[in-house]
Amino acid sequence: MGETPSKQVVVLACSGIGKTWGALARETALELVERVRPGVAKLICLPLLVINDTEARRSVLEHPVITLDGCPKACARKSVEALGKKVEQPLETIQFYTAHRALKPEGVAQLNEAGLKLAQVAANELGSTVDRLAEGEKI
Amino acid sequence: MDEFLETTYDKFIFRVKKDCLYTKDEFWAAIKGRMATVGVTDFQQKSKGDVTILTTVALGTELKQGQAMGDMETIKATIDLISPVTGKVVEVNPALQDRPFLINDEPHGKGWLYRIELTNPEGDAGALLSANAYFEIMKEKVVQEAKKLYG
Amino acid sequence: MGIPVAKIGIVPCSGEALPAGTVCRLACRQVLDKLRPGQTVAICLPLFIAGGEEERGFAARHPTITVDGCEKRCAAKATEMFSGKPVQALLIPDILAKHSMPMPTRLRSFGAEEEAAVRAVADEIAQAVDTAVAQTRTLENQHGAV
Repeated sequence: MGETPSKQVVVLACSGIGKTWGALARETALELVERVRPGVAKLICLPLLVINDTEARRSVLEHPVITLDGCPKACARKSVEALGKKVEQPLETIQFYTAHRALKPEGVAQLNEAGLKLAQVAANELGSTVDRLAEGEKI
Repeated sequence: MDEFLETTYDKFIFRVKKDCLYTKDEFWAAIKGRMATVGVTDFQQKSKGDVTILTTVALGTELKQGQAMGDMETIKATIDLISPVTGKVVEVNPALQDRPFLINDEPHGKGWLYRIELTNPEGDAGALLSANAYFEIMKEKVVQEAKKLYG
Repeated sequence: MGIPVAKIGIVPCSGEALPAGTVCRLACRQVLDKLRPGQTVAICLPLFIAGGEEERGFAARHPTITVDGCEKRCAAKATEMFSGKPVQALLIPDILAKHSMPMPTRLRSFGAEEEAAVRAVADEIAQAVDTAVAQTRTLENQHGAV
């Protein structure tokens, strides 16, 4: 978990353990970082912000941030806002489902096939957002 | 919070607003004169999960107590919304159009479903459960749900 | 009200950036869903941190076991910060070392070897739950049920 170089975009997923939407947030983040925009999108563990991890806080404050929250409680977004920063692209994974209703995710520990597919679709859609944020565009 | 009756199971807090009336179908009505605000109970939203898609009836729709007034889809099921009162829909909560999960966030607050102009307020109220009566029923449902999960 | 069984809160780290975070998540769910259902309650760390009333309320009233994927120990630190010291703070690298198992190198799509690691961690968490339940019952017997 090193420092984030410039022209990278930080992705924070809530990874809520109690809900399918948390699992979807996590999987979408992993898709984005491992497949869709490796090297540009960078994952940071959300709780690091709260335990005052210096590197994590610096990365979040110095780079554009996408938050992926699993429910309206918006833990990822609020954790960033608690640092005094406005998230450049706050998202809730429920929105991906309402846009792709044929892919109903299930499972909490691990997503079903439809959920994994939805994560792929969501990450594909977010690729251009990552590009724009990396270029310094305002969304 | 004195405005609510509360019970806790595991980490979950189940709340019943004292100044509302209830149905066994898990809907509440706050009746003031000839107007009622209606919504989904806290127990219902907790046990069924986050609302993803909400389908409501149109403004002006005439509803009867016990009749369907739309449905809501959660991760677990699609649930019919059942009107606790009889009257005409005069307002559909506009906030729910983009954010149906307000029903989960604040089932008695920002997550209200409709405002209804009542045909027979006394008759409707007489057929509904008081907060205390519903609270007892709800507590039993909580225990039954836990038994289903844990055996 | 409710079933009179000691309840233990399980607080997994939500680490996404490390394979141990995935091990943590999967192992905790095994304990919650299969190994010790009815005795354990999932405490969602992000929600706990963000001020979730239910998560913090439960952690203040019941024993907690934290499970962390790395030395930063976010779950243990956050739990102590917001509700109190966990009765046990488990660390996945230590558990895997104890079982002479390598740390997985993938963040997801676990195979047999990784699943074995998950199971080893889940078993350790389950044992920690048993210890915590026994301690809770001892205290209840000494002081009267809460």
